Amino acid sequence: MGPIRILLADDHNILRDGMRLLLERQPGFVVVGEASDGREILQLAQDQRPDVVVMDIAMPNMNGIEATRRIVEKQPHIGVVILSMHHDESYIIRSLKAGARAYLLKDAVKAELILAIEAVMEGRSFFSPKVSRILQEDYFQALGRRDADDSYELLTDREREILQMIAEGKTNKEIANTLNLSLYTVDTHRTHILQKLNLHSVPELILYAVRKGIIS
Amino acid sequence: MAGFGGLLLIMAAAETGALLFLNSLRHNDTTLQARFLQRNRTLERIRSNIYQSGTFVRDSLLAPEQSGAQAQLATLAGLRKDSENALAAYAAALEPEEAGPFRALRSQINAYWNVLDRTLAWTSAERGKYRDAFFYEELVPRRTSMLQIADRIEALNEEALRRGDAKLGDLFGRLQLGLLAMIAITLLGGASLAGFTIFHILKLEGEVRQRLAESVDARASLQELSARLVRLQEDERRALSRELHDEVGQAFSAVLLETENLLDLASAPEVRAHLDSIRGVAEKGMNEIRNMALLLRPSMLDDFGLLPALEWQAREIGKRTGLRVQVASEMSGELPEEHKTCVYRVVQEALNNCAQHAQASAVQVSVRQESARILVTVQDDGSGFDPERVRGLGLLGMEERVRHLGGSFHVDSRPGRGTLLSVVLPLAAIPESSPRPDATATPARLQTEVVWNGGAGGADSHSAG
Repeated sequence: MGPIRILLADDHNILRDGMRLLLERQPGFVVVGEASDGREILQLAQDQRPDVVVMDIAMPNMNGIEATRRIVEKQPHIGVVILSMHHDESYIIRSLKAGARAYLLKDAVKAELILAIEAVMEGRSFFSPKVSRILQEDYFQALGRRDADDSYELLTDREREILQMIAEGKTNKEIANTLNLSLYTVDTHRTHILQKLNLHSVPELILYAVRKGIIS
Repeated sequence: MAGFGGLLLIMAAAETGALLFLNSLRHNDTTLQARFLQRNRTLERIRSNIYQSGTFVRDSLLAPEQSGAQAQLATLAGLRKDSENALAAYAAALEPEEAGPFRALRSQINAYWNVLDRTLAWTSAERGKYRDAFFYEELVPRRTSMLQIADRIEALNEEALRRGDAKLGDLFGRLQLGLLAMIAITLLGGASLAGFTIFHILKLEGEVRQRLAESVDARASLQELSARLVRLQEDERRALSRELHDEVGQAFSAVLLETENLLDLASAPEVRAHLDSIRGVAEKGMNEIRNMALLLRPSMLDDFGLLPALEWQAREIGKRTGLRVQVASEMSGELPEEHKTCVYRVVQEALNNCAQHAQASAVQVSVRQESARILVTVQDDGSGFDPERVRGLGLLGMEERVRHLGGSFHVDSRPGRGTLLSVVLPLAAIPESSPRPDATATPARLQTEVVWNGGAGGADSHSAG
């Protein structure tokens, strides 16, 4: 297996330089391109076929969320790591819905960036602890407001197990192997889980898992 | 004012003068009549004395015997005395024309008395002898002539009365003329005064109208100015917020990253301690910049739209104060910039009021879009207030924002009953061609479709650091 090919998208040169320095010191990581706005990164993603894109949200011409959506739409295997100053859940949720697999805050880049890239390379999600906390707080607040039953209670133990594995980025095949189930059974569980939780996609499921504290 | 006063004074003076004059005329008339009657009576007395005395003398002459001559003389003397008194009384107020006839009358009467006196001294023989001759030659002619004189005087007296009447009539005519003149003057004065007054009132009216127009203009330009200030302030806030967030904040994160890179290289504990402190400062700075930027203008408002910004605001105020804020929204698309900002700022101000003044524990915010208008309500369960009496700058500012967009602003509150704030904004002015065509085309996916920092236009580029 070759080195992990990484693209950087940020409109601040100093930050990109800092990240490049940080990442290239890491064995097995190679930065194959840098972009300073959303349109540029779309082009680069097409040309360079990267494994991971580290993406800022606030960028000229096209913001990072829109760029993420377009990249993931065309190349779903690319793991997008959002690296932003925005704390608010509106940014986090929109990024995840657009298909990003990791969301980091810019005040903890060093410790988390490598971990996040490794996680998305394994197909898992990764969030800064602060981000997980924000999502969970909001979830419980919303729960308290709506006085709603917790739909998580509707899930069976097996479904909860599978929910966590999906959220962690495991494929149906991996889950089937681990739990010694047939592919068909895993797929049925997956459908039931989405139905019971009223979710429609894997990103939504990941968001749900983060909010519930099932993964972080 | 002075004009009206003057006119009234003139009228009052004229009326008083006319009344006084009329009074003296009546007085003069009475005096004239009285004097005429008095003189007439005096003449009558003289005449009657003459007749009586003539009759008396005739009777005494016709009497066969002369007896009681002394008594007869006395009677005659009494009559004479009375006549002379009457003459004297008449002479006291003699008209100049009467002087001649009156003198003649007087001497005739004197002569008459002397003649009469003489007859009484006659003996019986003398009486018989001269009696008839005396009657027809002396007494009757004299009497006739005296009575004629008396008639003349009476005529003169009547003439005097007529003259007096004529004089009074003349005076009355003059009074009439004077009054007519006065009326004319008063009318003229009144008319010119009215004219002047009308002119003045018209002038004042014109001035008032001009002032009104000026103040309406001033008000309009003041509103225009305040709207422009609000817009400028908002633009500035947006620019500042973005600048702080994207430039200053990013600079801090670059410092942070570089510091961490350095930490990898440095092994000396002293250097690492300094680098740690730098990292701490940079982290703190970044957080503060981020909060400051959000306070100035939340980036969600421009990045995602009204509802995410309102929800952020609700969460923030909840974290800060414990207020439970629920935001409900029914929107069919994104709002024009000014409307979005207006609703956001009004709700923000209202929530701040709820948290700071109303001691509310729960607030419900609702933003609904109906065909061509937006309805915003903010309902709290706080202490309420009397909107008739309390009108803070905050409320005024909200109202001003809403009015500038042609909307209506209403506060419904009573002490102890919470507060309901309602805003209706018309949406008629929304241009059909949206600057973000892909955003309006699929409102359901708006939240991830939004492209900012120039967006579809692409020309307006955010400066790269």
